[in-house]
Amino acid sequence: MINDKGNWSIDMSAGPIFEQIAKNVHQMLARGALKPGDKLPSARDLAAKLNVNPNTIVHAYNELEAQNVIEKRRGLGTFVREDAPVTGMKKDMLHQAANAYADEGRQLDASIQEAITALKEVWDVG
Amino acid sequence: MLAKLEHVTKRYVKNEGLRDLSLDFPAGEVVGVLGLNGSGKSTLLKLLAGLLFPTSGTVTVFDGAPRSKRANIVFLGENDALWPWMTPSDAMKFMSNLYDDFDAARFTGLLDSLKVPLRKTKTMSRGERGRLRLAMALARNAKLYLLDEPLAGIDLISRESILSSIVQEWHTDETILLSTHEVAEAEGLFERAIYLREGRLALDVSAESLREGGKSVVDTFREVLA
Repeated sequence: MINDKGNWSIDMSAGPIFEQIAKNVHQMLARGALKPGDKLPSARDLAAKLNVNPNTIVHAYNELEAQNVIEKRRGLGTFVREDAPVTGMKKDMLHQAANAYADEGRQLDASIQEAITALKEVWDVG
Repeated sequence: MLAKLEHVTKRYVKNEGLRDLSLDFPAGEVVGVLGLNGSGKSTLLKLLAGLLFPTSGTVTVFDGAPRSKRANIVFLGENDALWPWMTPSDAMKFMSNLYDDFDAARFTGLLDSLKVPLRKTKTMSRGERGRLRLAMALARNAKLYLLDEPLAGIDLISRESILSSIVQEWHTDETILLSTHEVAEAEGLFERAIYLREGRLALDVSAESLREGGKSVVDTFREVLA
């Protein structure tokens, strides 16, 4: 089941929820929906919104904190760090996705031109 | 350990409810109790609530018999036993008289967030009564919440608001066991999933570790119980 609420999207069959929450934050930063200094919802509010366990959100936030993306400010909540590595994030995530696509293309013995053409054909449809 | 079953067997007159079940429940865990009809889910919850006694084996809650610890245990059963004339404010008086740990302010807040209409239960829909019953259960300050099929037979919107309320009200030192058929909607809530098949333990697993292997709690339900 895909749980799609606002900016957040969780698929129960697509790996641990805490990783998906963390990835959601990366994606929001990459496309500018979330900016340095922005406040994140409290673990409990986000948990209630997505109907997931609050501990799972805490786990995701701890992961993002360890990556220096967010920080907890005592008594105030959780915020995107001012020095969060936002520049290059979009490019990094595109590269990651492109790697998987390139692997698949090479396995099909496709040329890069064929791959680019296929990508263009599906781009506006998807 | 907050609650514990050791080699518990429960035999009914005609059939076996549970067979040689041993489980530990630490404090602060949200556990999905999953299985088909007749797999023993309700029996497990009722044994922990002290509403049934094991045929053999022992059930302990806070190092005692469940029946002696009922002040710390909330049981929400499948039977809708609300009086037809009861309004939510009658329910509040009823619960306050019955339980010392009933928090009237919390109850009022829950009525609001669960959008329970303030009229007699006989004029309520099934979903509305289900939401009222959940508010009555969650407004108690207990340590062990046993919720037997709180999502069964009620509409999607009610199910969503029930799940949200459970998340909002849950304190990290409280343990919740929730049995359900609506695995897909509830699965994000579970840290641990217990699958029962014909009264036996089929699988006891951490939900996130299942997902680590690319499977949801629902996928695993189909695999284990098919």
